[in-house]
Amino acid sequence: MLDSTISRPRFKPVGITKGPGENAHEYTFVSRDDEQVLKNGEYVYYELADPAEGGPPAPTRRVLGRIIKRVPLQLYPDTFLAEPEIAPAQVAAMVGYDARTNELFELHVAIMGYYDAPTNSFINPWIPPQSGKQIFLADDEMLAQILSRKRPGEPGSATVGSLLTRPPDAVPIVLSVKDVVSTHLAIIASTGAGKSYLASVLIEELMQAHNKACVLIIDPHGEYGTLDQIANFPQFAEQDDGRRGGYQAQVRVYKPEQVKVRISTLTMGDMRHLLPEMTEKQQYLLSRALRKVGENKRGTPWSVADLKLAIKSVSKQKGDDDSEGADDSSTVHALTWRIDQRFVDSFTFDDMQHLDLPEIFKPGQCTVLQLNEIDERDQQVVVATLLRRLNKARMETERGKVHSGEFYLPYPVFVLLEEAHHFAPAGTEVVSTAILKQVLAEGRKFGIGVGLISQRPGKLDADVLSQCQTQCIMRIVNEIDQKSVAAAIEGVGRDLLDNLPALSKGQVIIAGAGVNTPVICRVRQRVTKHGGESKDAPDMWQKYFSPEAQESRRRNDAPLNGNKGFNLMR
Amino acid sequence: MYIGKIVKSDSHINYVCQIYGPREVELEPNPTDYAFGRFVRIAVRSEQADDHDAQVILALGKSSEPRTYAIGVIYDTILLNPAFGSLGPRLSNETQVELFSPDYISEKAVLIYVMVLGMMEQRMIPASQPEILSTMHGVPLLSLELGSEIETMTDEEVQAFHYFSDPDDLEHEAYLHMGYIPHIIAQRNSLLPMVTLRIIDQLERLFPQNLSLLSIVKRNFAWKLKVETTG
Repeated sequence: MLDSTISRPRFKPVGITKGPGENAHEYTFVSRDDEQVLKNGEYVYYELADPAEGGPPAPTRRVLGRIIKRVPLQLYPDTFLAEPEIAPAQVAAMVGYDARTNELFELHVAIMGYYDAPTNSFINPWIPPQSGKQIFLADDEMLAQILSRKRPGEPGSATVGSLLTRPPDAVPIVLSVKDVVSTHLAIIASTGAGKSYLASVLIEELMQAHNKACVLIIDPHGEYGTLDQIANFPQFAEQDDGRRGGYQAQVRVYKPEQVKVRISTLTMGDMRHLLPEMTEKQQYLLSRALRKVGENKRGTPWSVADLKLAIKSVSKQKGDDDSEGADDSSTVHALTWRIDQRFVDSFTFDDMQHLDLPEIFKPGQCTVLQLNEIDERDQQVVVATLLRRLNKARMETERGKVHSGEFYLPYPVFVLLEEAHHFAPAGTEVVSTAILKQVLAEGRKFGIGVGLISQRPGKLDADVLSQCQTQCIMRIVNEIDQKSVAAAIEGVGRDLLDNLPALSKGQVIIAGAGVNTPVICRVRQRVTKHGGESKDAPDMWQKYFSPEAQESRRRNDAPLNGNKGFNLMR
Repeated sequence: MYIGKIVKSDSHINYVCQIYGPREVELEPNPTDYAFGRFVRIAVRSEQADDHDAQVILALGKSSEPRTYAIGVIYDTILLNPAFGSLGPRLSNETQVELFSPDYISEKAVLIYVMVLGMMEQRMIPASQPEILSTMHGVPLLSLELGSEIETMTDEEVQAFHYFSDPDDLEHEAYLHMGYIPHIIAQRNSLLPMVTLRIIDQLERLFPQNLSLLSIVKRNFAWKLKVETTG
């Protein structure tokens, strides 16, 4: 009986409005808050009769607001706090004050407005509540309906966690996958705050039967390998019920040695990036050779040998046409040597093999590209070539130019980019910056969604960050990073950003297109095991001295001549 | 012991009492009995006391009817001498007045000021400690009557007045109360803060287990009274 009255506080006001707050669209109310429910970031509402809508009786609107500050009005005098072992309440009781109801707070509320279901938005009433109005705590049911655009388990929903100020799972926070994928996502947090955990939760949601998404993860640290367990969990499967075929989410993990870039997909820009400090002449020769080899092969792949031949041929032609020019042979030699050194027997670059787009992009499949053994420059080229090909494929498919083959991708895709500041660093342009910007700007039209994950938003290109319309921000301690996040996030959530250093692991501020209003969310438990944990150094040092490890080392280090049986000299 | 009777009041809680002089009572009160900061009690007249028999029983200390007392503290003393100022010659000197007209009532008197701090209801139980029925700190509802007698209080009675459990919260343990402090402070009288310090001194002696609790109030008062006023 008691429980039902506490869990349904809708009918019981928690406070009374005092007056307008410090800024416009803020008000204050006073409450005793006996049950300690009015936390910072909590949602409260007052009722407003809206005469503008329809005739009498005017519909009652619930104008929602978020508590941004809690100021105690009644504090014990300092002198009551003089003895550490005596509670001030005891002193107050002695002088005749009944200490059970001593607290009184003034709570500052930022008005969000009343929820308008057709537009999925909050409409500000443009007037603070009258003094004396009753304030109610928004109940779980109401918040679940208006904070998120989707309900858990619906097609196009991603339940990433629950509202932090309420008990776990009381108010699920559900991202709208459509908005996240079409207007991009950024996950920003300092190291150890749970970035890859949140990303994995999101992937899990995308791979469930109600989404069946087509996801690619660029994983420079090899943290997402454990996602392959998805294929074993029943949560990611759907029975064949006759109308729809059965579904089982697939995960493909490409090891670093399997990630190949076909040399013929490289552009002059990539070449310049891979072969830095080429002379003007080398660059000129190489660009001519690239054009020539492209013309000769007409879309079919060419090899390093073809490129070298083309270099020779363009240089010869040059020598023949213009006999006055200097001899190209030394340049050709230098260039060929550099190309040999860079591409022959390369770990990543190959004459024929590369990642086949229809193979890595499939609905219901999550592909993880592990790049952890690849050099950072090469990683940038891998990402740049892949994004370029993906962009081309989606563009041509959408425009109806191709109907089959390598560039036919008739479904939208979502690309999650870990360590995004490597691929679009601030202040400098790398080979992947331009294509990333292009995809972010035009991806919406062609159905390419990008999720950027970074621990250094300050090092990430500001244009790139501001293109991500859904932001998931976790604990950030660095001040420069906090500022760059504040610059990128939409205005209404800025007061939430003051909470950034106070967030714990696994708590995230979600703002932007994926939710109706910025929320602080507790990330849900992962179904699959987490792979991105830090190493336990002391534990590993201890293990070094375990009897088994010592014995095995002794055996390995034992000198061979200690074995007298094999001493032939004897 | 009875030390005097109420002769005047300044307000609902401030009473002026005249200390019994020589030959007024069998046991004349000592100056220590009406010292500054001493706790006193004054019986509030009950209806039953009109009955003659009841009065006899009461006088014998055998009554088991509950009695209500107002508890107060002495916060000022005045030595009254109407003869002061009339410096002219008298027909008879003091020794002669005593000798020739012993019924002549002395006009000299000691007046004490008592502030009422609360009420206490108790029932006498023969050959045992009185049973405390209720205790209240603050302004009493009933006023006292002129002529009511003032009694000193024993340490046990002072303890009982301060150490009790809240009436609306009986399962809660008894604890030290000083619920009269706020209304002492609210009075404008330069001696009252000093009397508060005296009260705390007495309570420190009576409740050694609550020393640190009392020290908070005491330090606060001492600071305001001694440091802030001097500084």
